[in-house]
Amino acid sequence: MIRKEAIEIVIEKISMEPIVSANGFISRDLFNIDDKTTNFYMIGSMGLASSIGLGIALKKPKKRIFVFDGDGNILMNLGSLTTIGKLQPKNLVHIVFDNSIHESTGGQPTVSDTIPIEKIAKSCNYKQVFKASNKNKILKILNDIKKKIGPIMIVVKITKGGTAGKRISITPNKIKEQFTNNL
Amino acid sequence: MKESYQKQMFDYLHKMGIENFVGVPDSTLKNFIQQGIDKKKILIASREEEAIGIAAGMLLAKSPSLVFMQNAGLANSLSTIASLIQLYKFPLIFLISWRGYLKNDAPEHQKIGKIQPELLKTMKLEYKVLKNQNWKKMCDWALKKSKKNISCALVIPREFLD
Repeated sequence: MIRKEAIEIVIEKISMEPIVSANGFISRDLFNIDDKTTNFYMIGSMGLASSIGLGIALKKPKKRIFVFDGDGNILMNLGSLTTIGKLQPKNLVHIVFDNSIHESTGGQPTVSDTIPIEKIAKSCNYKQVFKASNKNKILKILNDIKKKIGPIMIVVKITKGGTAGKRISITPNKIKEQFTNNL
Repeated sequence: MKESYQKQMFDYLHKMGIENFVGVPDSTLKNFIQQGIDKKKILIASREEEAIGIAAGMLLAKSPSLVFMQNAGLANSLSTIASLIQLYKFPLIFLISWRGYLKNDAPEHQKIGKIQPELLKTMKLEYKVLKNQNWKKMCDWALKKSKKNISCALVIPREFLD
């Protein structure tokens, strides 16, 4: 399962709930598969998708907030896991698409092949931590978490591959404005 | 800035609508931060970029926010300021200490302290330096900027050695 396929599977279960997507190919894929005004494409500031998601989750406690992260991204901001674990936002669903490489920059390795991100999340007091590498498992987890309290992490193991989607053609200010207006 | 003014400044910004104060601590700002802790309005992040990310999320939820940090943290945050706050036009107010303001400050404060005004200018992050006499006026300036969707910074010089 490559990243694009995994994102397609996950968004089957997300209708108009807000998504904050990490920079690089993750945001590009989300944009090309299912562009919506409830998507916040973080095109720069690598590492901060989960922090932005946390800020929204704290202020919108009645809405479930999804973060589409990558392994390279979250490894740049592990402090975010400790802050999330401390503050315990019940409505945060943190999905990490994990291929153990920085695919957007040419496939250089990350350390997630030897240091599992789900273990770090568990140590940081995430309430629910899941790992999946196929479609049925992902769909089952997304059904199960509907009744569960967060913070929740789902590590989706993906394989390298696929082409880069087109760049996001919406201006950053417009991404922000439309997201805010639909939040 | 005197202890009482820092505390008044926190209360004033909060009263004027700033709902979230996220950041990384500094002794220069400790009375401001303590006032916020006493009022249960402070969120301490692990790093300045993280604080900026959290505040950006809060701003997406239309909740006015301020990020506080040392000037060392400003140096840490340059890319995030450029590629998140300024790129998306987030109306974030920064409160930044100015370590290395005094000539005989600690050696680790001197380099950043010396280049801080140039650094802010180069970043095109508009800023004002706060003193005991002008803090309220400068807070009004920052609040006005944020209402116009422009990020800006308030700078508090470190006028003591410890």
